[in-house]
Amino acid sequence: MSKDPKRMTNTRHRPDENFEPYEPHRRIPWPLIAFAGALGLWGAATLLDSRQDVAAEQAERLVADNLKTGQNSEPGSTLFAARCATCHQPDGMGVRAAIPPLSGSPFVAQGPELIAKILLRGIDGPIRVNNHVFDGHMPSFASTLTDSEIGELASHVARHFGESSQTLSATEVASLRGPAGEDSSFKGGAEIAATSGFSLGDQPAFVSVSAGSLAPEISSLVFSGRGEQWACASCHGDLGQGKETTPRLAGLPADYIVKQLDDFAQGRRLNESMRMVVNTLSDSEKRKLAEYYADLRVPSNARPELGGNLARGEELALRGDWSRNVPSCFSCHGPSGFGVAPEFPALAAQHAAYTTNQLSAWAGGHRKNSSLALMERISSELGDADRRAVADYLASLPPVPAGTSEKTASIGDQP
Amino acid sequence: MNRYLPLSILALAILAFATLLLVIAPGIQISRHAAPPGLKPYTEQELRGRDVYVSLGCVYCHSQQPRSPDQAPDGVRGWGRPAIAADYTYDAPHQLGTMRTGPDLLNVGARLPSRDWHLAHLYQPRAIFDWSIMPSYPFLFQRKDSAGPEDVAVSMPAAFAPESGVIVAKQDALDLVAYLLSLDRTYPAPANALRDDGYSQPVEP
Amino acid sequence: MTQPAERPEAGPTDPAKGRIARGWIHAAGAVVIIAAVGALAYESGLIPSPQAARQGMGSTTAGYFQPPTDDQIPDDEFGAAVRRGQAIFMNTSTNASEHVGNGLSCSNCHLDGGRQPYSAPMWAAWVQYPKYRSKNNQINTMEDRVKGCFTYSMNAQHSVSGGPPPAGDDIYRDLQSYFYWLATNAPTNRKMEGVGFGKVEKTELGYSPERGEQVFAANCSVCHGADGQGQKDINERYVFPPLWGPNSYNWGAGMARIDTAAAFIKNNMPLSQPGKLTDQEVWDVAAFIDSHERPKDPRQKGNTIEETRKRYHDGDEIYYGRTVNGVLLGVGTPDPVHPVASQE
Repeated sequence: MSKDPKRMTNTRHRPDENFEPYEPHRRIPWPLIAFAGALGLWGAATLLDSRQDVAAEQAERLVADNLKTGQNSEPGSTLFAARCATCHQPDGMGVRAAIPPLSGSPFVAQGPELIAKILLRGIDGPIRVNNHVFDGHMPSFASTLTDSEIGELASHVARHFGESSQTLSATEVASLRGPAGEDSSFKGGAEIAATSGFSLGDQPAFVSVSAGSLAPEISSLVFSGRGEQWACASCHGDLGQGKETTPRLAGLPADYIVKQLDDFAQGRRLNESMRMVVNTLSDSEKRKLAEYYADLRVPSNARPELGGNLARGEELALRGDWSRNVPSCFSCHGPSGFGVAPEFPALAAQHAAYTTNQLSAWAGGHRKNSSLALMERISSELGDADRRAVADYLASLPPVPAGTSEKTASIGDQP
Repeated sequence: MNRYLPLSILALAILAFATLLLVIAPGIQISRHAAPPGLKPYTEQELRGRDVYVSLGCVYCHSQQPRSPDQAPDGVRGWGRPAIAADYTYDAPHQLGTMRTGPDLLNVGARLPSRDWHLAHLYQPRAIFDWSIMPSYPFLFQRKDSAGPEDVAVSMPAAFAPESGVIVAKQDALDLVAYLLSLDRTYPAPANALRDDGYSQPVEP
Repeated sequence: MTQPAERPEAGPTDPAKGRIARGWIHAAGAVVIIAAVGALAYESGLIPSPQAARQGMGSTTAGYFQPPTDDQIPDDEFGAAVRRGQAIFMNTSTNASEHVGNGLSCSNCHLDGGRQPYSAPMWAAWVQYPKYRSKNNQINTMEDRVKGCFTYSMNAQHSVSGGPPPAGDDIYRDLQSYFYWLATNAPTNRKMEGVGFGKVEKTELGYSPERGEQVFAANCSVCHGADGQGQKDINERYVFPPLWGPNSYNWGAGMARIDTAAAFIKNNMPLSQPGKLTDQEVWDVAAFIDSHERPKDPRQKGNTIEETRKRYHDGDEIYYGRTVNGVLLGVGTPDPVHPVASQE
C-alpha cells in the first residue's frame, strides 16, 4: 500500500499542539551592552558635572541657616575685608577728606561696644577723627549683619586697629539694638560724644536741616494711588523697600528716578505696569515723588537669595574682570555701591532678583536706557552665573545712608 | 504564564511596592515636618479665595513650585526661593501645577503685593499686558452706576472701561486677590527642609 | 512543558538576511554609542564648544604678560611692603597724603592696579629702568621716575609737604616692591607688548578743541562731569577723577601732552569700551581736555611761560604757552590758600 505522499508530508509537518515557543539562550549582543554602558557613563558624567551647582545650593542653605541661627561662619578679618575695606581701606587708613581712618582713631580706641553701636546705627553728620573733620555718611549695618557678625567685626576692629582685647558676644550686641524703627543714625561725632560720654576730641556741631514736609497730594499718590495709577507703596512697599523683582526705591538718586519714569513712558525701558502708572504723572509729580524716595532712609530687606557665588560677586564689584573689559561695579557706582548721582544709581541693598533681572534686560535688549550703552555691553559680557553672583553680593550690602538731610518715611502720612 | 494566582499576587505586590515608595513613604516623611515658623495658616477669606482659585482652574496654566537655580532660573525671575515640602502644609488640595503658561505664583504676594493691580489684571489682563493670553474674568466683577461706600472700584484705562458707571469687585474677586496676596513663601527655609534640590545632598542639620 | 517533536533550528531561515540584519543593528548601535560619547565629550568641555571658544577669545588680556594675582603676595616682610605699595598705588591721596596736592591716585590712569595692558602697566615699566629720559636729561632709576609722577601727575607742589617724597623715602621702597612683584617673571630690559599707552596715528584733519567739546559732551561728561571736574560719592570721595582744573594733574604731567592723552583715551576710554572712539575723535577730545587750565608747571619757578615752554615743552604736542581762544595757557590755576588736605 503506497501512502499518499501529501498525507505523509502533512503528518510529518503537522505542528505539535502542545508546543511551547522558546528561544535558546544567546549572548546579549555587544552593541546593547555598549549602549547601556555609554548611557551609564553619560549619567555619571552629568551627575559629576552638576557638582558645582550642588556646592552653590549647599552654600545657599548654609547661608540661610547662618542668618537664621545667627551663627557666624567667618572670622572678623574676613568680615572686615568683605564689609569695611571698600570704604575704610584694607589697611584701615580710610580715604583722605572722605572716609575717616580706623587706625589710631579715638572712636575705635574706646573698645568694641562703641564700634558695635556705630555699626548698628550709622553716622550722618560731621565727625572729627584726630586732625581732620569728615562730613561722614556711614551706613547702618543693623539690617544686613547678624548679632554674632557684628560682635565678631567690632571685636576684630577694636583689636586690630585699637588696643582692646575685649570680645563682644552676640547677646551683648542684641542688647545694644534699640527697638526696631527707632534706631536712627548718630548725628555726627557730636552725638556719639554726647551719648557715650567718652572723650573723643573736639567734635564739630551738627547742624540739622529741617526735613521738607510731604505734600498731601504726593502722599496720596504714594499711599492711595489715583485711579488706574496704583499706589506706589502698594507694590514698592510702605517703606519703599521693594521685594523680589520690584525694586527698592529708598535711597536712589532723585534725578535717576525721574529719568527712569521718563524712560518707562517713552519705552526705552520696558515694563507694562510701570508704563501704565507713569502715563498720567505730570513732570512735577515725578520730581516730587523722586525726591520723596531719594530721601528715605530705611533698613534693607534684601538678602542674597539666588545661590550666587558671593566671593565672585565681591570680586566683580570691587575689582572687576579686566579680561573681559568689565570694570569693577564700584568704580562707577561708588564705593560700597552707594551711587553717584544722577547717572549711576545706588546698587547697595537692592534685591538680587531685581538686579539680575535688569542685567538680563540690558543684555537682552529690553532696557535700552544706559548712557553710552555701558550697561548693555557690560551685562552681555557677564554670564548668568556672574550676574547672580554680583546681584547676591550687592543685596548683602548695607543700605545707602542719608544725604544732606535725613527724612524717614512716616507711615502715618496717609491721608 | 498560566499560573494565575502567583501572577496576580506578583502584579499586586509590584503595585503595592510602587504605592509604598511613591505615596506612603513620602507622605509619612512629609507629615513629620511641621509648618515652618514663617508660614501662617490661611484666614477664612483667603481660604474662600483659594476655593475660587481651584474652581477657576488657575493650576492649568500657573505652577506653584519655584525650582532651585541648578534646575531653572526661577529665582532670577523673582519667583522666590526653591519651595520646600512644608510650604504646602496648609494647602489642601495642593495646586503645584505642571504648566507655566503664566508665571509661577507661589510668591506672587511678595512680588506683586498690590491688591488694586491684581483686581485690574483679573478683570482684563490685556489692559496691562497687551500680549497676554490669560483669560479675562469679568464675571468676578460687576458694573455699577456708582460705587457705594463699601465697594472696591477698579479703574480701567479708557479702552477697557465700561461706557458708563464703574467696575466694582465682587466678593469672589476680593477673596481671590486676598488669597493671591497671601502667597508669600520668601521666609528662610529651615535647614532640614525637604526639597527637590536636583542632584545636591541635604546639609547635615 | 511539553517537549517538541523536533527542535526547529533557531535563527532566521535565510542566513544571508540574518547577517544583513545584524549588520544594520550593529551599525545603529555604533551610531548611538558615538552620539552618546560625543555628547559626553561636548558637555564636559573636551570638545571646545562655540561658547567656550567665544569666552576664550573674549579675554582681552589673554595675549599679554600675566602679573601674579593678589592672593600670591607672600606672607613676609617683602609681602608687607608689596601690600603697602599697593595701598599707596590704589589710594595715593591717603597713603602718601603729605605729597599729593590734588584729587588723583595712581590707579586713575594705571588701570586695574597697574596691570592693564596699554594703560601704562607697571610690570612693563619696571623692566625698562634704569633708563635715560630726555625729560630730565639724565639716567632715571624707578625711584626718579616715581618722583616725577608725584611732582607732576600728583601735583606735589600744592601738597602739605610742598614737594615729592625725598630720595630714599619708604614710599618709593613700597611702590617699587609692588612694581617688582607685579613684574614677576617678566623679561628685563625688554620692551614688552602692552607697555605704555600705545600710540595713535596722527590724522589728516589734526586736532581741534572745538570738535573735541562735542565728543566730550557725548562720551565723557557722563562720568567725568559736564565741567570735567569729576564726580564724588556721598562721602565726598572722588569716584571719577577731575580732568582739568585745580584738582587735576599739572602742566608738567605726561597726560597734559595731547598725544599721550590721545593714546590713553584710545586704548582705555570710555571705561569698559576702549577703542570705541575713532582716531579723529580721540585726538579732538584729548585736545579739548588738555586745552583747559590746570595747576602750573612746577619747573616754571620764577621764569616766564615762554622761557619754560622753550626749555621744557619745546617740540611737545601741548598747549602750554600757546594761546587758545585768546587765552594764554600755562598760567596755572590759582595756588590754594592752604595746602591740599592740611590739618584743620
